[in-house]
Amino acid sequence: MNDNRIEGYARGLFEIARAEGVVDAVEDELFQFARSYESNDALRNALTDEQIPAARRQAIVEDLLGAQASTTTMQLVSMVIGAGRGRDLPAIVDNLVAKASATKQLEVAEVRTAVPLTTNQHVRIKAALVNATGKQLNMKVVVDPSILGGVVATVGDTVIDGSVRTRIDQLKSRL
Amino acid sequence: MNPFVLSAGRLFAVEEGVEEGGELHDITQTPSVFWPEPYEIIFGGFASLLIFGLLYKFAGPLVKKAMAARTARIQAELDGGEAARTAAQAEATQIRAAMGDIDSERTRMLAQADEQAERILDEGRTRTQVEVAELQARAEADLSAASGRVGDELRSEIARLSSAAVDQVVTGSLDDATHQELIESFITRVGARS
Repeated sequence: MNDNRIEGYARGLFEIARAEGVVDAVEDELFQFARSYESNDALRNALTDEQIPAARRQAIVEDLLGAQASTTTMQLVSMVIGAGRGRDLPAIVDNLVAKASATKQLEVAEVRTAVPLTTNQHVRIKAALVNATGKQLNMKVVVDPSILGGVVATVGDTVIDGSVRTRIDQLKSRL
Repeated sequence: MNPFVLSAGRLFAVEEGVEEGGELHDITQTPSVFWPEPYEIIFGGFASLLIFGLLYKFAGPLVKKAMAARTARIQAELDGGEAARTAAQAEATQIRAAMGDIDSERTRMLAQADEQAERILDEGRTRTQVEVAELQARAEADLSAASGRVGDELRSEIARLSSAAVDQVVTGSLDDATHQELIESFITRVGARS
């Protein structure tokens, strides 16, 4: 999908969420779903398979998000999947999150950890990143066991990598 | 006494004795020990002259002709011998020249053969040296490649085993306390930036 179409979809989803007054919740839920969608091949294949009827793909989305996300989030994802734009869902969501953050004068910070953060850790990490980057941040936390341990923070083009995965890779490359 | 002279003297003595009626003397006896009777000398002389004359008249030309023929034949043989000698000398000269040519040709061929042999030997030596150098270089390259390959394979295997070991050890040692420690360490490190 070209950038204009991604931009259009993102703007549409953002406007719907804003009209519903649930931008913060929707963008957070969409962000979490997009990360899961990226890391789960089976889910991605199922939701992008053109051989599966759109209604069936939308039913899968409703089954997955029905109990874990708001109705608006579920309907927005269902709409994108039903329109056959499942492959672009992560890009659309990232654009939407950036748009939502921009309206609040915030920069998106993606923080990946191997285990869930406590509230205290969440606050302190955000404070540390704000201190390190000098920017106000809209921090999104992704639990990603593939990094094995530690934290990887991405703010714009800046990546602060404190993951065990990277250290092991560096050790392997030296070996 | 000459038997011929003796016989002729006896005959003339008999005839002379009968005609004259004189005394018959011994015809075997001569007045001189060395000389016959005069008539014997006269008749003998005439007879000899006659015989010599006849011989000169009839046999002389034949003898002269035979001598001339013999002389011609001998001359022809001498000429033939001279020609043969000349031819033999010419042939000998040719043979000597040919021998000289053969000697020089043999010398030239031997020199050429020596030169060729030396050149072939040099070429062979050079080629052999080049081939030996190539073989040596190839062998060294093969050895180096094999050594490098074995080294690479060994390093790769060590790295693979080490990676697997690191993954296993690190993953096995990552308990909840370690996770929290890593997160706290990250917060501390990032928070120290400004």
